Amino acid sequence: MVCGRRASINRPPTPSAEEDREKEPSLGEIINIKLVESGEKEKLMELLRERLVECGWRDEMKALCRAYARKKGRNNVTVDDLIHVITPKGRASVPDSVKAELLQRIRSFLMSTSLR
Amino acid sequence: MSSSNDAPLSPQSELALSCFEELLNCVVADVASECHRIARLGLDRSVDSEEEELRVWAARTTAATAGGEHPHPGGGGAAEEGGSKGGVDVFGETHPAIAADVVECMNCGRPVVAGRFAPHLEKCMGKGRKARPKITRSSSTGRTRSSNGSTAAFYSPYSTPNPNRASVPNGVTDGSTARGDYSNHAA
Repeated sequence: MVCGRRASINRPPTPSAEEDREKEPSLGEIINIKLVESGEKEKLMELLRERLVECGWRDEMKALCRAYARKKGRNNVTVDDLIHVITPKGRASVPDSVKAELLQRIRSFLMSTSLR
Repeated sequence: MSSSNDAPLSPQSELALSCFEELLNCVVADVASECHRIARLGLDRSVDSEEEELRVWAARTTAATAGGEHPHPGGGGAAEEGGSKGGVDVFGETHPAIAADVVECMNCGRPVVAGRFAPHLEKCMGKGRKARPKITRSSSTGRTRSSNGSTAAFYSPYSTPNPNRASVPNGVTDGSTARGDYSNHAA
């Protein structure tokens, strides 16, 4: 079988192209890994959640979902639907102070990891 | 809000922003998931709950005929009969508020509707505080057991007479020969 199948011997191994790409994880990925490993991501999530609850953002989003579910029929909604309903309004209505606080913490983390 | 987007961003700020966005996406997904759950389980109660119930039920019956779901008049669980009773359980079955199963009273042996079992036992065994005379046979009410021997009657199936109640089982057995399994023949 080998003698008749030269092409298979010379065929380049499949993952090589992907391997080249993956040799260099992007900066964002490195940061993400560091965030998770250090536990900072978890803390940031908790902080963000807490702030968004305090300022009523979460209740606003829940009200949006409720209204959408009532309109569409509550058995016809999917999680994807709701995510698409909330995301634009949600991004826009995060209070400046909350955003600033989170960004501040992220930036100080980035500096502490001495990547930048 | 938008002013911060207009300023030129250093790569680091961009990085921070993308981190923030990822965190926000997670929170959004959480909220969406929870609202989806609330919507599907019908846990969301509005002020006009009855009107809401009708609307929900109408929506559900139309959805049922369209989607082949099992339509049931219970409505969305929460306000129907106060929580988990009524509405639908995890198997999709409904239960009436008053249990309709018929069980056999272990005291008098009569079939009793489960929802009426407690009041039946009250009369059957005698209410705890009311001082009942120690009668062995009661023809007027149709009860087949004397109320005073109630606690002994419970112990008797185990066939070990409580020494403190030596006299009582005798009283009980006299009145309940028909119920051999329950009576204690030890004298």
